[in-house]
Amino acid sequence: MESDIYLVGLNHRTAGVDVRERFALADCCDRERWALPCVGPIRESLILSTCNRVELLAAGEGDITGQMLRCWASARKARMSEIQPYVYIHRSLEAVRHVFSVASSLDSMVLGEPQILGQMKAAYRKAAACRTTGVILNRLLHKSFSVAKRVRTETAVASNAVSVSYAAVELAKRIFGDMRRHRVLLVGAGEMAELAATHLLQNGVDEILVANRTHARGEDLARQFRGRAVPFERLADFLPSVDIIITSTGSPEPIIRAGDVRAVLRARKNSPMFFIDIAVPRDIDPDVNSIDNVYLYDIDDLKEVVEENIAGRRDEAGRARKIVNEEVAAFAAWLATLDVQPTLVALVGRGERLAGEEVARTLKRLGSDDEKLREALEIMADSLVRKLHHDPIMFLKHGCAHQESNTSRISAIRRIFNLDTDS
Amino acid sequence: MISPEAATTLNLALLGAASLSGVAGISARRTFLRNLGVRLAVLAFAGQTLMLLLGFHKTLPNGLSLGAYSQLLAWFVLLGGIVVWRRLRQPTPLLFASPLCFILFAVSLPCLDTAVTLPASLQSSFYALHVGALFSSLGLLTIAFFAGLLFLHLEGRIKSKRRMPGFWQDMPAISLLDKINALTVLASFPLYTLGVISGLIWARNVFGASVTGDPKEVMSIAIWLIFGVLFHNRLVKNWKGRKPARWTVLVFSLCLFSIVVINTIMNTYHAFVRG
Repeated sequence: MESDIYLVGLNHRTAGVDVRERFALADCCDRERWALPCVGPIRESLILSTCNRVELLAAGEGDITGQMLRCWASARKARMSEIQPYVYIHRSLEAVRHVFSVASSLDSMVLGEPQILGQMKAAYRKAAACRTTGVILNRLLHKSFSVAKRVRTETAVASNAVSVSYAAVELAKRIFGDMRRHRVLLVGAGEMAELAATHLLQNGVDEILVANRTHARGEDLARQFRGRAVPFERLADFLPSVDIIITSTGSPEPIIRAGDVRAVLRARKNSPMFFIDIAVPRDIDPDVNSIDNVYLYDIDDLKEVVEENIAGRRDEAGRARKIVNEEVAAFAAWLATLDVQPTLVALVGRGERLAGEEVARTLKRLGSDDEKLREALEIMADSLVRKLHHDPIMFLKHGCAHQESNTSRISAIRRIFNLDTDS
Repeated sequence: MISPEAATTLNLALLGAASLSGVAGISARRTFLRNLGVRLAVLAFAGQTLMLLLGFHKTLPNGLSLGAYSQLLAWFVLLGGIVVWRRLRQPTPLLFASPLCFILFAVSLPCLDTAVTLPASLQSSFYALHVGALFSSLGLLTIAFFAGLLFLHLEGRIKSKRRMPGFWQDMPAISLLDKINALTVLASFPLYTLGVISGLIWARNVFGASVTGDPKEVMSIAIWLIFGVLFHNRLVKNWKGRKPARWTVLVFSLCLFSIVVINTIMNTYHAFVRG
């Protein structure tokens, strides 16, 4: 019986977080507690368990989904009936399509997020270390990694920020380009502002200054960002020396006004400034955006950018799915060749054996031990065998494109060349 | 030796391929095609430099032709693009300039035999200095114009918080475009000044007066004054961003008007370039 690919799993669409927690297999993936043993009809297996999905991928003979579910339930000390309502099952090319989609982040909660590929690679490394992957899953996983790379390079499904903090950093890059020579001033403290500062730091900004009404809190933050705290009261003194200003104070009134910024800009010789106002009520007078070389984005502007980016990613997902479909078709062609592989090996092996026997018999009849003659005869015999095999091999491979006649073609070749009884 | 027509056709093909590759690379967001466009443009520049060094245009039956002038201008534009690419590692202005150079080459092909003969009364040693300085200034100004135009578009989108779709996301940061504009404007103005001054001295030698009221002369001085305002404010008043970009577009547009309209339609001493 031929091997097929099966995938059983649940994800953020089919199960809530409590269910995903209940059936997670993250701690069952070590060699000692492998949840899906490769025994009986299951030949190869791999487990992907992340916060948003738990998936069991296997290659085996016959319908092995029942056994996969049993193993999963038993690993989590649950009944099969508890898992079944949340589970989806894919088989053959649908399973391949699903794996490619997951690796390309087309099935993720945040479309195009990059973490899933790393998680899949880690799951594959674990399975490979446990020696539960073989010809089919090795090929499938390697292919899924290259499909993910193709999707990322050929489409914009993973481009553009889909979080407010990343959107702010992307905008800063569009204004300043290289961030290395630029300084950031963080005014006030807030989760989103701190996150934006962290991303800016990761993008190589020169220094982060922190101004907080509570100076001690400012010093804590400055330490966190390897920057320095400046007195909140002297904010205006530090504005000329910074390029990016992130504000998130609880002030009921704007703390930076257009008039202040005009004066700052003169001191900066008109070098551009980027204000990111995450506070509600806003910390920066909206008129600031009307000044030349000054750019102001408030929380609503950033949210709008994020929403547009998400919509853009959705548009790109269609193109990404086309790539996945192309790659599934290519993988299907490879899978089909797996059926003819044993026959090809047997055919070529038989030819080589016969050629070797005939060369030995001819040399014996000639009574010659001339090395040159032996070499010439071997070359001739090999060449003859290769030429004779060319048409049957093409006949076999051509059969791969027509799945319905594959078995009959294999059977015909095996009978013609007596491959099943020939020894 | 390869004929001027064959060399021009070869360069036209290279610039066409560079333009196609560059435009395809930008619109399809393919780095490989963009890089190919840059390399083909550099190859076209090298080919043209070789043409100039070997003096192909001297083999033209009637001396330096209208086509040769057009090609010389394309050479300076490419030079400006290559300098920006090498110094600031930014190929976008060169990619934008390639189609313009392709057009200049395409226009030059049927005019290779159209002789531009300087009237005997205008023969002067200032000729090479005047043309060389103005053409090199114009080459740099073209790059400044593309950088300025791109800056105005991108900055407008950032300022008005409009989405940056598709290939616009791959364009250089606006600060870099402003820097390109600043460097090219600051290098271009002194060359333009040299071109204008050499023209004025030449006019005094030939006509006895530096300013004769010739339309081309008046236009050149007007451009020089506007260009001077831009140069002064860039250098002394720290003009940055939108304002200098707009002024660059204005100066370039006036230069274009001066070359295309005044040289070809109006009654001027420069009418000899009509051939």
